[in-house]
Amino acid sequence: MQKSEYRSACARILLFIAGTFLFTILSLPIFANATVNPTEVEESLTCQCSCGLTVHSCNHLQCSFAVPAKQTIAEQVGQGTAKEVIVQSFVAKYGEKVLSAPTTVGFNLAAWITPFLALIVGGIVVSLISLRWSRQRAQQGAKEKQVSDPQTNAYRDRLKKELDTFES
Amino acid sequence: MTHLGTLALALAFVLAVYATCMSVWGAASRREMWIASGTNAAYAVFGCVLIAVVALLHALLTHDFNVEYVSSYSSSTLPVQYTVAALWGGQKGSLLFWTFILTVFSTIVLAQNRHKNRELMPYVTATLMVIALFFLGMLNFITPPFERLAFTPKEGSDLNPLLQNYWMTLHPPSLYLGYVSASVPFAFAIAALITGKLGDVWIRTTRRWALTSWFFLSIGNLLGGRWAYEVLGWGGYWAWDPVENAAIMPWFTASAFLHSVMIQEKKNMLKVWNMVLVILTFALTIFGTFLTRSGVISSVHSFTQSGLGPYFMTFLILTLIVSLGLLFYRLPELKSENELDSLLSREAAFLLNNWVLVGLAFATFWGTVFPVLSEWVRGVKITVGPPFFNKVNGPLGVLLLFLTGIGPVIAWRRASAKSLRRNFTIPLIAGVLFGALFFLFGYRNYYAVVILSLCGFVAGAIFSEFFRGTRARQAILHENSPQALGRLVSKNPRRYGGYIVHVGVVLIFIGIAGSTFFKIEKQISLKPGETLEAGRYTLKYEGIKNSEDDHVSVQAAVVAVSVGGRQIDTLHPEKRLYKRQNQPTTEVALRQTLREDLYVVLGSYDAPSQLATLQVFVNPLLSWIWIGGIILVLGTCVTMMPSPAERQAFAQAPVKVRTGSEVGAD
Repeated sequence: MQKSEYRSACARILLFIAGTFLFTILSLPIFANATVNPTEVEESLTCQCSCGLTVHSCNHLQCSFAVPAKQTIAEQVGQGTAKEVIVQSFVAKYGEKVLSAPTTVGFNLAAWITPFLALIVGGIVVSLISLRWSRQRAQQGAKEKQVSDPQTNAYRDRLKKELDTFES
Repeated sequence: MTHLGTLALALAFVLAVYATCMSVWGAASRREMWIASGTNAAYAVFGCVLIAVVALLHALLTHDFNVEYVSSYSSSTLPVQYTVAALWGGQKGSLLFWTFILTVFSTIVLAQNRHKNRELMPYVTATLMVIALFFLGMLNFITPPFERLAFTPKEGSDLNPLLQNYWMTLHPPSLYLGYVSASVPFAFAIAALITGKLGDVWIRTTRRWALTSWFFLSIGNLLGGRWAYEVLGWGGYWAWDPVENAAIMPWFTASAFLHSVMIQEKKNMLKVWNMVLVILTFALTIFGTFLTRSGVISSVHSFTQSGLGPYFMTFLILTLIVSLGLLFYRLPELKSENELDSLLSREAAFLLNNWVLVGLAFATFWGTVFPVLSEWVRGVKITVGPPFFNKVNGPLGVLLLFLTGIGPVIAWRRASAKSLRRNFTIPLIAGVLFGALFFLFGYRNYYAVVILSLCGFVAGAIFSEFFRGTRARQAILHENSPQALGRLVSKNPRRYGGYIVHVGVVLIFIGIAGSTFFKIEKQISLKPGETLEAGRYTLKYEGIKNSEDDHVSVQAAVVAVSVGGRQIDTLHPEKRLYKRQNQPTTEVALRQTLREDLYVVLGSYDAPSQLATLQVFVNPLLSWIWIGGIILVLGTCVTMMPSPAERQAFAQAPVKVRTGSEVGAD
């Protein structure tokens, strides 16, 4: 592989990875422009009846936590109270464990950042390894070319063509 | 009979110690007789554990309530199938069941390899027996299943009503089969590391075991989802509960292994990485067991909080230290000729796929253990629930779906611009058409359209692979279409079986997208004769029917379902009261079609006012999750079929039987 071809291939793969990332990030629901509704607030809170579900999903219709919580949320949303204020009123009463997901401040930020950080680091490692391996192959290819003769080249071209047809 | 069970477990423990020692000693001193003796002892361990399982089943079926386990998890009125399921319904029984499956698999592996892999097998036996020893140690010394009470209760406490469901008779065994079969590739990996036989023999030998593990983990997770959907009554199938997470994490790493192992087989690359994935998958199965039994993280699935956590954690840490230590020791010999012909190749796409799958496993692990970390660091208990996992894993899942479509259309070694253009055309057109079609049918949500378009893209990629292969056979061999398609698959079951699995994955994503973004929920209290509207359905509550037997009393609502003024069905959502545990449960009424599920729950019923509270969900496209699951399972079966080369090798292989004198001569 020529140096320019190699660079262009690298550029393409990096572009591909960048595009994939962009696509992923844009697909993140956290970037969605959402309007406040009772369901959204209910989904932000974990039911305390040990069902392990959110207040919205708790299937115990006579649940001592979810039922009054839903009523409170509906009333407050009806009064035009902001989502954050409603959620904070529950946190003040029951503690942070009432939230269905970690907050995005302080130590809790680590919960959100670490998976993506690990993914980015992993992505860089995978990219670097791929580049190194493809460079090794390119060097190997260059050595093979040095010892080639017209007949070998003809066979190599034919093999490449057939493999491309076979594997594509 | 229970005394026999206790004795059998004690004997199994002693035999497992003997099998481990003899196998290692025999291998180290190259004494075939000792190795054979160790193998025979491993077979005997299976026999002993089988006796213990039969003894516990006998105690359950004969209602021997003097046995603490029987008294805690069954009753005289429990139906037979659930009495049998009680074997894995509690802590002790499930540990015994786990050990039983492990010894069954050990026996199969030893029998399969009695004339093969002679250098690896003693260490495989030893590794499997060490794992068995850990569980047998628990059963003998920490949590004995045949423990007796000081008195005999007249009646048992019964099995948890949530477990009295037919899916529950299948879901735990499937998961256990998946978990335990991961021990076999792990044992071979350890044997390869110890002996230094690091070629692809251990990989080839264990490929089907890795597939088996993946197969059962897939079934286990799907059945678990189905159970949650039908029993828990919240209209969903996956809640990112810690124990659900524990079951999906090894599935992610096993999926990564099944892809990366192809690169090792084809190009002798990624030897270290494959070892890491095998070790990680096994470690995650133990971690999952630790989660359910330690009480560290609260979950609806957990067994009663017990003191088993530290033992499992110790075993897990020792496993990681020993296996990673061996891996580190063998690193120089594991260096492979890692070369990529091009960054635009299937190998590179598989590397990306591994990156995302391991990323998903890590994100799930991180979210699962973060509450514990938070408590350690800040002293504050927090919850990491579905919103976190949906936001973190959701985009990764979409990325994985995208890569599922990329893999088949990129050639091995190097993809030329021309081949990329040619191979991407059909998938891209399919993706656009798919998205547009769903949009026209009313599925108008940005994320849903993105996912559904990607589903079309992947489906198009798979279709074009089948189409081109079939066309090529027709052109060269003049076969008709069905013949060409059939032979295409049978000549390369691994490749095309894998594509069928991907079709299953696509359908699962369609089901997830439809049921996540277009779900309709209604909750209302009705008197007889009153109706409610949910989507295109009109539901008329007609009244309550009561029934009762010795075991359970049932209140069933009668709900007439109409569409456009025409009655199409009558549903009977139930509220059940299991008498022994005095615990009410819901029995969902389901009307399933390919278009959508109508899911009705009877929340409560007030007899004086005749007021019934109904919770109604309309879940679009949800059935495709189960259909996709079935296709995924069928595809996995296809990949496990022997290839023509394997069939030929099998047919030509001479059957070598070693006589006693030959063994003695060693």
